[in-house]
Amino acid sequence: MGGPTPLSFRFRGREYPIVGERGLAASLTGSHPPILGRSIRYHRPRAPFCGTGFCSQCLVRVNGVPNTRSCTYRPAAGDRVVSENGVPSVEYDLLGLLDALFPRGLDTLHGFRRPAFLRGFYQRVIRGLAGYGRPPTPGASAPVAPASLLDSDVLVIGAGPAGRAASTRLAAAGRSVRLVDRGPLTAPPTGVASHPRTTVTFLPPPSPDRPFPFEGSAVDERGAARLLRSREVVVSTGAYDGGLLFPGNDRPGVLTAEGAIQLASGRGDAPFERALLVGGEDRAAELIDRFGTHIAAAVSLSTFGPAVARRASELEIPLYPRSLILEARGRRRVRSALVRPRGGGPPLSLPVDAILLAHRRLPNVQLFFQPGAEMEWSGEVGAYLPRLSPGGGTSVPGLFAAGEAAGFAAGAESEASGVAAAEALLASASSAAPALRPPTVGTPSPLEGYYTELLGAASGRGKWILCACEDVLLSEIDEANALGYRGLEEVKRYTGVGTGVCQGRFCLPDAILLLSALERRPPAEVGYIRQRPPVLPTPLGAWAELPEAPP
Amino acid sequence: MNDGPRDRYAVAIIGGGIVGLFTALHLARAGAGPIAVFERGFLSSGASGRNGGGVRQQWETAATVKLASEAVAAWRRFPGEFGYNPYFRQGGYLFLAESDDEVAQLDRVAAVVRSCGLPILRLPAERVAEYAPGIGLRSLKGGSFLGSDGTLYPFPAIWGVYEELRRLGVEVFLRTPVVGISRGEGGLLQLRLERSTISAPKVVNAAGGWSGEVSRLAGLDVPNVASRHEILATEPMKRFLDPMIIRLSDGLYLSQTMRGELVGGLTVPHPTGTVAGMPSSLAFLRRMGRAVVELFPSLRGLNVLRAWAGYYDDTPDGMPVIGEDPRLPGFYHANGFGGHGFMLSPATTRRVAQAVLGERTDLDPALFSPGRFLGAVRPGSVERLQPG
Repeated sequence: MGGPTPLSFRFRGREYPIVGERGLAASLTGSHPPILGRSIRYHRPRAPFCGTGFCSQCLVRVNGVPNTRSCTYRPAAGDRVVSENGVPSVEYDLLGLLDALFPRGLDTLHGFRRPAFLRGFYQRVIRGLAGYGRPPTPGASAPVAPASLLDSDVLVIGAGPAGRAASTRLAAAGRSVRLVDRGPLTAPPTGVASHPRTTVTFLPPPSPDRPFPFEGSAVDERGAARLLRSREVVVSTGAYDGGLLFPGNDRPGVLTAEGAIQLASGRGDAPFERALLVGGEDRAAELIDRFGTHIAAAVSLSTFGPAVARRASELEIPLYPRSLILEARGRRRVRSALVRPRGGGPPLSLPVDAILLAHRRLPNVQLFFQPGAEMEWSGEVGAYLPRLSPGGGTSVPGLFAAGEAAGFAAGAESEASGVAAAEALLASASSAAPALRPPTVGTPSPLEGYYTELLGAASGRGKWILCACEDVLLSEIDEANALGYRGLEEVKRYTGVGTGVCQGRFCLPDAILLLSALERRPPAEVGYIRQRPPVLPTPLGAWAELPEAPP
Repeated sequence: MNDGPRDRYAVAIIGGGIVGLFTALHLARAGAGPIAVFERGFLSSGASGRNGGGVRQQWETAATVKLASEAVAAWRRFPGEFGYNPYFRQGGYLFLAESDDEVAQLDRVAAVVRSCGLPILRLPAERVAEYAPGIGLRSLKGGSFLGSDGTLYPFPAIWGVYEELRRLGVEVFLRTPVVGISRGEGGLLQLRLERSTISAPKVVNAAGGWSGEVSRLAGLDVPNVASRHEILATEPMKRFLDPMIIRLSDGLYLSQTMRGELVGGLTVPHPTGTVAGMPSSLAFLRRMGRAVVELFPSLRGLNVLRAWAGYYDDTPDGMPVIGEDPRLPGFYHANGFGGHGFMLSPATTRRVAQAVLGERTDLDPALFSPGRFLGAVRPGSVERLQPG
């Protein structure tokens, strides 16, 4: 490109250049992730976290539309971007003073009871302050691209190694294949209709009596609606980097692996100076490759794999195996991290300005829950996975699973599972599909023991945020348990955990483990909330414009 | 909680939703003896945890207006009486009419509501926007507004009553479906559970969408029909809308919660007869999206966060069924609330408890009794104002 670009957008009175495909959050990131908002309940600073458009921590208002995910939104020339929720600003916010008056913060859930004379006042305060942003400005939504109805033999959702392998095999067998992906979907397989930057939002159970039993909705990044009809579906939606419980885990500077990668897109250096890397396996090694000596130290909740160990020794990165992360310190962003060996030992304070979470991958399983596939708890993954036939068929006829979404390891194993799913689909139920090892079920999650030890070692300082969307505290899970509420369904309703904008992606995996420990029964018995559509929050306009299938 | 149920109770209530819980509370306070509540799912797993939280006093039948006014007063008292505050917010109900028939219906409703002493406003089309800024409905012909109607958050009400019941020693058994009902020795009614059988002289069917099935377990033919309704919530935003909005033409209802979400649904009933799964549908999301965008064009960019479904318990005349079944002495109905059970529950359950205790209630048998479907009493008027 070279030279200054004439294209720019405006944020807090400053012009920012538009650089390539770089997302809004990355464009606003200098040497640190920017504070972009405040949480509702306790007014905690919020900065980019997940990098996938799932979480609630980077919401901004763009051209009069609230709740725009700045990590995935690509700015356009002339955009006007503002932060919401800070009084007077999100950087220096005074609403925290209210917490002195109302220790439960802006509690929209349980209701303020005493003193009675404050009830009406509190209710008015909440009514004024709740919500992420102001309603959309009239006339704000941009014109929407025309909606469309798209048919195919097979719909493949997710264009990672598994989805690509399945698409290629199915197209070679003469099936018409439609491949959709939330990302840019560069270099799609030949002979496959591809739909980049498109999210499948709702896949209801199939109706076997229709010519196209599957009918799903999707939306592209401009909000254009798609109705996708197909005879079969392969779900290969991949996985995302999960969160971790510790006080300060919602501080600006705590990033998932994907969050760090997204914020660094289009630049050579890192969006931090000295980061603490959490994780011991391939995902952690990937981050060392990407950020090099900006990784100041690495901790693992268990051991370090050879990939991390080799890279760390080359770059002289100190490794702390089998460690507890006790706390992230710093008021408005991470200034240090407190870690301690598991099993006991003195705590160590590491001066870091970022904490990168690369310790677990969680499958994107919404599109298995929605059409009614049987699910089972996998302790190894620490999540629910679809129950699979040897080839990758789910319990729903015509619905196949492949890749990390179905619990297979990233890379070659995922790719093989994509081929296997395609073969199983082509072979139909009558003939034998090639056998493939289904994911392990039954082993306990490594995090179960970790959390038991961590909570035993907790010093009790600071707030433990279990859900950063709604500021649900860990102590509220204990409170619900003490009051006799049992199982995830009841505790979700009582505490609000899982009801926020991320739809529970970052809190429910931990909530299941915590409840399992509190209720002394296996995670699978704690249950799971029904996965409600849509997969991602989707504009009302995209539903309004969703085409109707001809009868 | 770990102990199983005992052999015998004074009253056994089937259904642990708000109607069953409130009924148990009134009975316990009246000293009715050992009481058990049997809930087939988890707490608030049925319609009590799935409704839109509306509380209105605008009805076509004066008897319902009176119950509703009593309920409004009770919801106002709730935070002082229980350990929770459901945030009952009296932002009013705004009904929208778009045809001459609907205008006539609002006139009838307004006359009834006024006769009950409530200051309902009938609005010409051009004044509707004063109560819902941003509304952009071209076909509007008029509206009605009653400021003391409102909305609440259902869960704290459930928790408040549930925890009070446990303090009073009422036994609430969750995840405990009743699988059989029969007449046992000494005239007692027997409830068969999955692992045991209990007996009680009096049994209340407060099973909401499941009430038809429960009555049939007891060998009673009832006209209750379960129908699936869907609902959605948007991402929370700052204050936008004060009243609950009801559009008569499609049954749309829409309000903003304390948390800032817009919550609403519309009438695309799926009468399934009995409860069969709780799936959402593309058809609902499409229709609801269209309806909201038509009402408030500026909300097109607002995100739908989640959608869910639940069951209404409908009756042929749109009125609830309260009282003892003449065919099976000791078996009481507290059902058929047609999507309005939660809002009216503080008032209706007092009458249920009175009936169980053998006291006279002020309910007109022609409107409320189970006998009205059996030719035992002449049926009264029909409640047609069903949405929201």
